[in-house]
Amino acid sequence: MTRPVRVVIAEDSAILRDGLVQLLVDRGFVVSDAVSEPDALRRAVERDCPDVVIVDIRMPPTFTDEGLRAAIDLRRLHTGLGILMFSQYIETRYASELLADDAAGVGYLLKDRVADVSEFVEALTRVASGGTALDPEVVTQLLGASRRSDSISVLSAREKEVLSLMAEGRSNAAIASELVISEGTVEKHVASIFTKFDLPQSQSDHRRVLAVLRFLDS
Amino acid sequence: MVIVVSEELETRVREIARTILRTPFTKRTWSELCFLSVGAVLAFFGFAFVVLTMAVGVVFAITFFGLAVIGLSLRGARAIGGVQRRLALGLLDEQIDDPDPFAPRRGFLGWLQSALRDRTGWRAMAYVVVKVPLAIFAIFTALSVWFDAFTCLITPLGGASQPHEFGLVRGLFPPGYFSIGNTGGLHGLAILCSGVVLFFAAPWGVRVVVYIDRFLMRALLGPDAVAVRVRSLEHARAQTVDASAATLRRIERDLHDGTQAQLVALAMRLGMAKEKLADTDHLDLDQVSELVNDAHRGAKEAIIELRDLARGIHPPVLDIGLEGALSTLAARSTVPADLTLTLNDRPTPAIESIAYFCVAELLANVAQHANASRASIICTQHSRWLRLVVRDDGIGGAQLSELGSSSSGLTGLTERVHAVDGRFEIVSPLRGPTVVTVDLPMHA
Repeated sequence: MTRPVRVVIAEDSAILRDGLVQLLVDRGFVVSDAVSEPDALRRAVERDCPDVVIVDIRMPPTFTDEGLRAAIDLRRLHTGLGILMFSQYIETRYASELLADDAAGVGYLLKDRVADVSEFVEALTRVASGGTALDPEVVTQLLGASRRSDSISVLSAREKEVLSLMAEGRSNAAIASELVISEGTVEKHVASIFTKFDLPQSQSDHRRVLAVLRFLDS
Repeated sequence: MVIVVSEELETRVREIARTILRTPFTKRTWSELCFLSVGAVLAFFGFAFVVLTMAVGVVFAITFFGLAVIGLSLRGARAIGGVQRRLALGLLDEQIDDPDPFAPRRGFLGWLQSALRDRTGWRAMAYVVVKVPLAIFAIFTALSVWFDAFTCLITPLGGASQPHEFGLVRGLFPPGYFSIGNTGGLHGLAILCSGVVLFFAAPWGVRVVVYIDRFLMRALLGPDAVAVRVRSLEHARAQTVDASAATLRRIERDLHDGTQAQLVALAMRLGMAKEKLADTDHLDLDQVSELVNDAHRGAKEAIIELRDLARGIHPPVLDIGLEGALSTLAARSTVPADLTLTLNDRPTPAIESIAYFCVAELLANVAQHANASRASIICTQHSRWLRLVVRDDGIGGAQLSELGSSSSGLTGLTERVHAVDGRFEIVSPLRGPTVVTVDLPMHA
């Protein structure tokens, strides 16, 4: 049996913090600490060396983007630490700051997503193991605001679906099961998207997420 | 016979004597003298400029040239006003706010129209015109006394028989009035003494004239009443906008931290319960029931929070009128509170809302800080004004700044009160009682 994933939670709302602990423990995670402010988060990561942290963006003292600042610091200090940003709003600016250099082990989800427990747990696991999990809302906003609407409009409807799921950080297998098609078909769609965008094919999931996001954001 | 001089009278006399003796040697006296002298010169040049340009302007008024000269004349008067303000600041420490800068419209015609309709320019011109008689008055009544004082002090030294006096002193006392005989040591001494008396009297004449000038400058060279009103309204508007932005931010925070978090947690618990129910192989009904119970409790808490929040934005009880709303507040107050309300008309909704939140905040403050056993709320109408008096028998010593820092709500409220031209007054001696009076217009 694999080692359980170790998590630190930083969330200032007690109700949500307790709820998350309950949920994660129930699903077999080890919650090594649950804190309510950024400095405590830094200390907890230093001490417990978790696989992944769940960080609320708005935390004391100013309730703006302390969580994000702390997360960016932590990422620089602890390579391989997965970071799942957790917020009630999606701001694409935050997403692009977080993904500035690498998409490996980064997630950004709306808090609502915990309602679909299995999907949330799956996203957290993905981030913990170096993958990417972007909220569909982030992807929608990126697609909507993208100046590459010409390139996007040449995609077929199916390819657009695949693009969105790919940008969320899903693997080919996950995309295949979500769209109820074979993995081979997904691969074909992905190849076609990269050809249409004139991007080099990437092997790993998080590299191709970054390639797609950079393309949409440029 | 013994003259009994009360101690108080003695100190007062001593104080007055000291003031008289010191005054000629203070910086203020010489600054004022300097101001009057420079001001007199400026007044004559300014007057000459204004008369000349206006005369030319009026003669040619039928043409654009004449109107343009009048415009220039007004611009010049404005500039003289500026110099005068700086003079007042530098020498008298009299701070007169700058009027709004001249903002001409585009083009020559625009400039002309703006210049001719420039109230500040016309008021400055009025000052320049009025300043001339004032300057003449100053020369004969105030500056002349200084002049006479020095001539009287110098004359005996030079051996001249009569001092050359002019102005006020000359008018009141004809030549030779002070002299004892026409020559000789006694005569010189008498002149010298009158010089000393004049030396100590002179600053006061100057002070009187400067006082009049200060008044004129404030009235004619500062921003005019309309502009002041506009500024205060702009300030009030900025405060209102800030306050409403702050209110929106507070509501967002309350929603974000309260109801939204509650609902996320609720959805999460239901999500967990749902997945547990779907997993028929390992179904643990106790766990599911616990989750549903937690979710149920969370839903009820969210409803309560949402209701409190909604009431904080606009209390529904206000819809039935201020009396009902205030009596609800009085009834809910932790410190027992009596309400007396006599209103002939119903205030506008905005005023009712401000009055309601004032009373709510003040009662909350009484409960938190005043250590009071009773409070009273009196709400009365004085023609077009609504007066709210909230009184408590607590420890007193409350200050608006303190109250403001302890509850940001009250600071916001005073801003809202000022924004509708209302007044907010707090009287709170140590050991109490504290009386807060809020005056609001009935309609705003």
